[in-house]
Amino acid sequence: MKISSFFVGFIGTTLWVALFGSSGAALPQQPDKQTALAKQSSIVFSGTVSRLGATSFADVPKSAQTIVVRVDSVLKKPFPVSLKRGDNVTVEVKDPSGFQEGTQATFYTDGWIFGSGVAVKELAHEIRPNGGEATKAASADEKAYGQTQEQGDQELQDRLNSSDFVIIGRVTEVHRWNAPKSATPYRVTEHDPDWHEAVLEIKSVLKGGKVKGNKMVVRFPGRNDVAWAQSPKFEKNQRGIFCLNRDHVSGVPTTKLGGNQVNAYTCLGHGAALPMAEEAHVRSLLKSQ
Amino acid sequence: MKALARCCVRFPALAALLMITGFLLAQGQPPPIPSIKVVDLIPASLSGETNQDSEPFLAIQTANPQVMVASAFTPNPFSNTGNAPVYVSQDGGKSWVLNAITPVQRMTCDITHAMAAGENHPRGDLHAGTLACASSITLDESETNDVSSSTTMNVQTTRVDVDQPFVRALGISSGDRIYVGVNDFNQPNGHTATVDVSVDGGATYKSFPIEARKTTGQDGPSVRPAVAGDGTVYAAFFGWRKFSGTVATSDIVVVRDDTAATGATPFRALRDPTDKLPGRLVVKKISIPWSNAPTLGQERIGSTLSIAVDPNNSSTVYVGWADRGSKGDIYTLHVRRSADRGVTWSKTDLPHTTIRNATNIALAVAQNGVAGVLYQQLSNGRWITHLVQSHDAFATIQDTILASVPANEPTEQFLPYLGDYDYLLAVENEFRGVFSANNTPDLGNFPQGVTYQRAADFTSRTLNDGSGNPVAISIDPFYFSVPVIP
Repeated sequence: MKISSFFVGFIGTTLWVALFGSSGAALPQQPDKQTALAKQSSIVFSGTVSRLGATSFADVPKSAQTIVVRVDSVLKKPFPVSLKRGDNVTVEVKDPSGFQEGTQATFYTDGWIFGSGVAVKELAHEIRPNGGEATKAASADEKAYGQTQEQGDQELQDRLNSSDFVIIGRVTEVHRWNAPKSATPYRVTEHDPDWHEAVLEIKSVLKGGKVKGNKMVVRFPGRNDVAWAQSPKFEKNQRGIFCLNRDHVSGVPTTKLGGNQVNAYTCLGHGAALPMAEEAHVRSLLKSQ
Repeated sequence: MKALARCCVRFPALAALLMITGFLLAQGQPPPIPSIKVVDLIPASLSGETNQDSEPFLAIQTANPQVMVASAFTPNPFSNTGNAPVYVSQDGGKSWVLNAITPVQRMTCDITHAMAAGENHPRGDLHAGTLACASSITLDESETNDVSSSTTMNVQTTRVDVDQPFVRALGISSGDRIYVGVNDFNQPNGHTATVDVSVDGGATYKSFPIEARKTTGQDGPSVRPAVAGDGTVYAAFFGWRKFSGTVATSDIVVVRDDTAATGATPFRALRDPTDKLPGRLVVKKISIPWSNAPTLGQERIGSTLSIAVDPNNSSTVYVGWADRGSKGDIYTLHVRRSADRGVTWSKTDLPHTTIRNATNIALAVAQNGVAGVLYQQLSNGRWITHLVQSHDAFATIQDTILASVPANEPTEQFLPYLGDYDYLLAVENEFRGVFSANNTPDLGNFPQGVTYQRAADFTSRTLNDGSGNPVAISIDPFYFSVPVIP
């Protein structure tokens, strides 16, 4: 995203809003860009530049690219991050020449350094001409990408993109699975996954081809070691939406199901198993792929 | 104060005399004795976090000990796909910030690090060994010259099938020498105890297996190097001779190199008299319980090990470990000592160092030869973190309790609960280290006092998110410094 083109686009949108109002009106293109930026960003806030070439707290390296911004409103932030109106944030901007003291803007950022205050790195910004309020679109972002949302849409979209299968199903069986000694050497480590297998009965395939027999075998770590703590642990009769990949992890890519040799799959990492309540959301993201 | 100011205005000559006297008195004084410091590392701007920040580690920049880097199982606070962070202090541990610069996504599943000479980098030179556990377990050995920059650490070498990297470094004029103990499953014949050595600041590494005897197919996970200023490098490891699934029958093995491991076949200076093979057997065939489930309180056990060398007398070296102790005991710590470069060792545990139901042993030796041992003991439903010091091989000791916290809360999110290790270093006239513990803001839990950066109310003993909203207790990493006894 080039800031300059973004800014030019923003001016056009602002004029469009001024002329036609924003209530209920779909803004062509520009709100899409804002939404996309908000999705990419972990911290979005509007604020007023108070100092150039400065930092808001010790331990942040000061440079020509660091500016201090007083927060006017927080539009998006991760839950653990303490950030509120009136706080001073250090922003490492891409081009400091676009700012002066008093400049008001919405900042789309990623986190950088967390200490007595917050320092962030700019992904993009949106100047608020004449000290105007944050755009309506930004307010909409605040609702759509609220402060408590742990897994952003971008992250879920990435997971869906990288999955071989996305299915809705039910776990009908869970059992421990030991890799044959010929396939993987026996190793004792704290990070041993203690592999288990779950048989999934498929209700519908949201992504991926037809599945023979309407069942799949998913390997998952039974261990609660730090390496696997984020990975879903399956239980019999569990229902949900499962993002699956061919098993490239256990060392054995296939398994037995109903007497047949079939591909084995894994469901690993944060957000790989989702509750049924997410169905509409997942379908919508898959549609936009 | 106002009276003194008026006095100085009226009698400038007297004021000058007072100033000069004060200056001279100050010049004649020894440096101030540092006080004990315990600091919760979680910064104020992350007051809402409730992660299990276990398994802490610490690096201190040799050239400027005000600069330190700590780590724990702390996830990236803003992104599940961003870099795993480290904690950075530039004021001797009074304050810490979190900076997401490691090469691992979100959170490491093992991390240790060391800062050697500095190489003229005011906020470097940090060398790290990290494990990434997204799908396969991958070791990265990496470096940064500025721990405050936003640049991700530069990965210098990487490989899979390696466990528990443990980094030590020695700074010399021609650059940093780095020693990474690893349990390397790529080594042939089950000789997995390995030290990765770089003699060129991490630009290149060579892996040296240090096991010379038959194993049960592998050694234990912990491989710990220790480096003295004269270039003597020791390493300790668990030589696993049998493994039942729940108990490892193990030797405690110490190897040594006298030339900073720069030779073609390093770590062969010590041989055991019984079989003439490299590696002195400090104790043989001890039983070490292996449990990857909550066993000692909510903690798992199986591989706590530490070694430390006197920085000014490389003949003196200490080794500590845990095994299954006497009846009714779960896990018992032991410390032994050698005063002849590892050739012979104390036949029994040093006094005061057979410690029941304890783990996370970390040893260090100060400039004046005082030995320190950090450990965490489960006692009467509490995790008690001790720092014990001795100037006479633990015949007499000073025991400082740094924390005494409830062991039954919070509930474990994953294992390890507190860590498979904590860490202790000696710098100037201080022992400095890190441990993880229940973070309830209760002064009764911290007998030496404590400083929280995160929002905490010590009256109501509650945490909050900085805006007054309550935050659940969790495991936090704590930094401490304790003056070395004379």
